[in-house]
Amino acid sequence: MPDLLPFLISGLGVGAVYALSGVGLVVLYRSSGVLNFAFGALGAVGAYVAWSALDQGWPLVLAALAAVATSVAIALAYGRLLAPRLAERDPTVRSIGTLGLALIVLGFTEWFWGEQPRRLVLPTDAGAIEFADVRLTHTRVLGLAIAVAMMAAVGALLARTRIGLAMRALADQRGLSAILGIRVLQVDTVAWVISGAFAGVCGLLLANIVRLQATVLTFLVIPAFAAAIIGRLSSLPVTVAAGLVIGMLEAIAVLVPGFAPFRAATPFLIALLAIVLWRDVSRKA
Amino acid sequence: MTPDSVRRERRAARFALLRMVVIVLAVGALVPWLANAYWIKTLTSSLALAIAAAGVALLYGQLGLVSLCQYALLGVGGWVALRAGHGLHWPFEACVLAGGLVAGVVGMLAGLPALRLKGLYLALVTLMLAGGFQVLISASGFPDGGAGFLGRISGSERLMLPRPAIAQGDGAYFAYVAAWLAAMLALLELHRRTRAGRSWALIRRGEAVAEGAGVNVLLYQTWAFGLAGVCAGVAGALLAGAVGQLDGRAFAAGESVMLFALTLIGGAYHWVGAVIAGLLLRAVPSLLVDLGVNGYLAMVLFGAALLHALITAPRGLAGQWLAALRRRAAKGRP
Amino acid sequence: MIEIRGLTVAFGAVSVIHALDAVLDAPVCGLIGPNGAGKTTLVNLLSGFVPARAGDVRVNGTALLGMNAAHRVRFGLRRSFQTEQVVEDLSVWDNVQAMLDHVPHALDQVDAQVYRALEHAGLLDCAAVPGAELDLYRRRMVEVAKALVGVPRLILFDEPGAGLDERESRLLRDAIAAIPECFGAQVLLIDHDVDLIAAICTQTLVLDFGHRLALGATRAVLEDPAVRQAYLGA
Repeated sequence: MPDLLPFLISGLGVGAVYALSGVGLVVLYRSSGVLNFAFGALGAVGAYVAWSALDQGWPLVLAALAAVATSVAIALAYGRLLAPRLAERDPTVRSIGTLGLALIVLGFTEWFWGEQPRRLVLPTDAGAIEFADVRLTHTRVLGLAIAVAMMAAVGALLARTRIGLAMRALADQRGLSAILGIRVLQVDTVAWVISGAFAGVCGLLLANIVRLQATVLTFLVIPAFAAAIIGRLSSLPVTVAAGLVIGMLEAIAVLVPGFAPFRAATPFLIALLAIVLWRDVSRKA
Repeated sequence: MTPDSVRRERRAARFALLRMVVIVLAVGALVPWLANAYWIKTLTSSLALAIAAAGVALLYGQLGLVSLCQYALLGVGGWVALRAGHGLHWPFEACVLAGGLVAGVVGMLAGLPALRLKGLYLALVTLMLAGGFQVLISASGFPDGGAGFLGRISGSERLMLPRPAIAQGDGAYFAYVAAWLAAMLALLELHRRTRAGRSWALIRRGEAVAEGAGVNVLLYQTWAFGLAGVCAGVAGALLAGAVGQLDGRAFAAGESVMLFALTLIGGAYHWVGAVIAGLLLRAVPSLLVDLGVNGYLAMVLFGAALLHALITAPRGLAGQWLAALRRRAAKGRP
Repeated sequence: MIEIRGLTVAFGAVSVIHALDAVLDAPVCGLIGPNGAGKTTLVNLLSGFVPARAGDVRVNGTALLGMNAAHRVRFGLRRSFQTEQVVEDLSVWDNVQAMLDHVPHALDQVDAQVYRALEHAGLLDCAAVPGAELDLYRRRMVEVAKALVGVPRLILFDEPGAGLDERESRLLRDAIAAIPECFGAQVLLIDHDVDLIAAICTQTLVLDFGHRLALGATRAVLEDPAVRQAYLGA
């Protein structure tokens, strides 16, 4: 069907963000055992910071940097100050801690900037390219390029650097790694910085694609969780593929008769299907 | 053939159960005399939500399971109650029971595939379910007197769910909800004191230990999920009765997350914690609005309180306050 | 009586128990061997936590390997773990009653059975105390009491006395030794305390690297030169 292509391409845009978010989630989980429920909220606050900066007349690059810096700062603060206080508890409790962070960040964002929905209009929205009958703004193209670059960079980091090796070791055996001399704190810092940076970029992209509203952005992280689940919280390539597929399927779902109002449920359905099919993934410890 | 100490402990447990029921019923009877109309409505919602919180507390406190879809199950219960009430004209109690049972079954079905996975996966799956329900209910809305499966009707002909004959007024309905709360809390406590509670305690200690004692771990976890679902469903039905209708836009996934967070803050190991959670969900935000404080600052506070509860006070506010009371009582005794 | 024929237990390529043949028919049997010999694995196999690669096991004539763990518990198999597994928030009484919940029993006999088990283990004075407040000795005795409810047939103790002082070990020893007579169950006891084994086990199986090194009357086994070299370091 020739008319699928526009949907697929537009779905690719959102899918790339899902993939990017998924990677941000999985990288942190693999090295620290914490699933960052605040990922979306961190992105949201970054997006609002960018909005305020642009409103003040800052150039795009500085606004984006400010956004990412905010997300990174908050993530780092949590990772170094609060997460260690939960380090001895089981993984579920450690991840629920990030729920608390999500509430704090979300609440602050809604309070400070107000809850009315806005649009994050970026200067790059003005220009666009035509590709197979689809109009892709420069933002989307740039976003896709940045997403690919970031995912490739993280992949290279994990595979080829010493810190990447340390992160992979920590994922397997945290205590043992510490005894072996791997500097757990240093690895943790890198992991949280990566997670925060990814959250900031994803927040900007989603705010541009969907809309700038804190609750919406916070819970748009759920499809990213779906991608991470399909990647079994460990495989980056699968997570990326899953994110892209989810984005594209969600876009095509509009075409399914009668399903249109429910198309936002596509990521959840896919994730649930994945769980049911892979029930024997990991027996409870 | 039981030692005196055990007999005393059992008597104390029975007394604690009775005391709980009496306190809740007393609150149900007294508050309508003391509070104004607005606060009666708010507190009615708080009590109904306390039932849902009790279900969340059961899963987390007894089994260490994190369920982030209990508010969605509340919506399921409310939907069934509204459908039964409008479409089938069942008496109110039957609507509540139907809502509870359906939500319980849905809870069990939802829990089953997820229970075989690591604890974190369960949290994620339930979050997915909550997200899916949000989309579903936003699109389909709640029944309000129309025909067809969805029971939707347009504009000014929307019906309110009729309250039970004995609880038409707001004050009477408050007492009615308090009675349901007492009944559900008693049901959960009875579970806790008998074979189910002991089996849950074994599972909490470790799955290997439980299996070594012959416990069918999956069965007891699923049963707990079902119970928690019933709690949520009953709460949903009672909320539907309180307001007369439910809004499909009020069931975002975030509500389930909030419910979970506040249950932990209130305390997942004691019934008072569930009541505190209900108050935090409805009464405290209302109070803050009354005092001119922005509702979103409450969210910041709750987030911080959750972290505090996790880091320093795993038993929640209820746990801290009850421990303090016990220390005072111990000091008072010679 | 435990009859083991050709039992092999392997995890992947690593064979932990090799073609083991043994008939254990004494009321209290000992199971000893150096670390890594496969003792705990054998207990895990008997209780149904690990599967067998090959071989056959019968307890009192009934084939064991076809039953799942819960079924074996209902059949009458009981085990303790190396680390004590007392449930903190339940009282001693409830800890033992929890065991009885899942095995066949007469409903009017519950209190009597729990009472008898606690009496045998000397825990009646602390029956209402929650698990969290128990000292190590009492926790170990709770493990013993848990094994005694609901018609046990075979009780597997895995280092039940670890961490106890001499007086406590003796009390534990006497309680375990009296189990066959008072409760009709066979006991298989793993321990590193050779004196304990010598005192109450009439028959002992020695494992070394998953192979049977010796099996017979305890005295004879402990004096076997092969056993002394491998395990006792003589």
